[in-house]
Amino acid sequence: MIAHRRLALYLAYARCSFRRQTAYPLANWTGVAVNLFFFLIHVQVYRAFFGARESVAGWKPDEAIVYLATCESLLMVLGVFPTQTGYDFAERVRSGDIAIDLVRPVSLWARSLAERFGAALYYALARGAIVFAAALLIFRPALPRAPELLWLALSLPLGVAVGGLLAFAAQSSAFWIENPRGAVQALTLLLWFFGGTMVPLDFYPPPLRAVSDVLPFRAAIYTPVALATGKLTGASLAFALAHQLAWTALLVAAAGALERRGLRRLIAQGG
Amino acid sequence: MPEPQARRARAQRAEGERSRQAAAARGRRRRVGSDLRVWAALVGASVRAQMQYRANFVLRSFLDSLVMVTDFAPVWMLSRQFGLIDGWSLGELALLYGLVAVSWGIVEGALMGFEDFTTYLRMGEVDRWLLRPRPIGLQVAAHRFELRKLGRILQGALVLGFALWQLGPSAGDLLWVAASIGGGVLFFAGAVAAGAALQFWTLGHTSELQNALTYGGTAALSYPVSAYSGWFRRAITYGVPLAFVNYFPALAILDRTDAAGFPAWVPWLSPFACLAFLLVGLRLFAAGLRRYESTGS
Repeated sequence: MIAHRRLALYLAYARCSFRRQTAYPLANWTGVAVNLFFFLIHVQVYRAFFGARESVAGWKPDEAIVYLATCESLLMVLGVFPTQTGYDFAERVRSGDIAIDLVRPVSLWARSLAERFGAALYYALARGAIVFAAALLIFRPALPRAPELLWLALSLPLGVAVGGLLAFAAQSSAFWIENPRGAVQALTLLLWFFGGTMVPLDFYPPPLRAVSDVLPFRAAIYTPVALATGKLTGASLAFALAHQLAWTALLVAAAGALERRGLRRLIAQGG
Repeated sequence: MPEPQARRARAQRAEGERSRQAAAARGRRRRVGSDLRVWAALVGASVRAQMQYRANFVLRSFLDSLVMVTDFAPVWMLSRQFGLIDGWSLGELALLYGLVAVSWGIVEGALMGFEDFTTYLRMGEVDRWLLRPRPIGLQVAAHRFELRKLGRILQGALVLGFALWQLGPSAGDLLWVAASIGGGVLFFAGAVAAGAALQFWTLGHTSELQNALTYGGTAALSYPVSAYSGWFRRAITYGVPLAFVNYFPALAILDRTDAAGFPAWVPWLSPFACLAFLLVGLRLFAAGLRRYESTGS
């Protein structure tokens, strides 16, 4: 009964976060245009690199286009930009407003994650779907058709969870150092570099690839995007999903620990 | 009136006009000098404020110097996997990247206030600036002078140095490097001014568009403009003169001719095209300011 009520509470946070995003439709349309602009740049670069070749490193030009389209559509969904849900809890730690949040019977990390999921749903509908449809209309690449694509129903939420939990971890640095922007910036850098954003991990040099396969960042970007492109099958798919599940579990535990430790250190000045 | 007297009177009038003009020019110079002093004082305050969070400053400077990990690593990985792009090797791509990274780093560090203009517009900071007897552009520029961007400039300079070391440049080539960086500073200053100007009309709802011109522009310029398809290439040559920031100067440095058939004198236009774009950006900002209505907050 109590667990049930808790869940309803978090769902309410997710709903509010969704609605908060709908407040600025013009900003979203601008975002659609900007996503498409970046997509166009990347596609042209890849096309020029491919030249007349049919395939490079096992990738066909059409697959590269689908990868780039999926990646650009999912950037806002997966939360590569960590502070975009509007709930900037790190800033609330700095200002002391966090004290109000602590009165409520919710955990900080779970609330952050709920808001992340609400925002992700909004961006999937209002941004991702439009960008993806437009990208396909422009270039009309051959789309992957494989039963493996059904695994996206698991992989995409796990990707959002890993991204959201990593963002929480970076923001909770605010408990220890006054300004958490450095940690958030570091996370963005790591997500872009080890996550396979715009360059599929298959193109990475082998040592870098090996490191990327261990770190959590590919779970937040590369796995869902490559899966949607039809590039994950058999053993590589099994590994990718296991990797996502393991990191989600690990990061949930880490987020709980960070919250407990951080709150023990917290001193909110009254005023 | 006898002829000599008239001439003397004319001469006196001209003399008076000249001295008035000279006085006005002195006043302008003094004015510019004092504006510069104010700018320096505000920049000093901004830098001192950044130093309040010392650990954060050190960490972010370090991270800014790692930006090539996200910006240049894709170029390196793709060129390693695919080979040439439109006939350009990795060393030549490094030249393109280095030129843009340095000029964009300078503008991002010195003019961050324009990038964040949305926030100031919404929070009513702009009202406060308008009340002060100094040009608003100067105050915006000085409001956020991000010293940490030195890290970004440094890493760009490293990539540029690597490219030049491989090329073995002549003195003329180095002049082109200077012209390209100077032109890039003018261009990106125009870009951030135009982006900020846009916010006067859309009240911050289009701040992502600013990124398209700056981050999108720098991303596009990591590769030769000739690699892009016809309409896009025309748009970034004639529409927004991005191609003049690094592509045409690089052609001159590498003694290349453009694949799309631009004549050999086009690189000489680079600084002027960039300057023209800056003037457009400043015009837009001034126009936006004229229609500004305070939010009252």
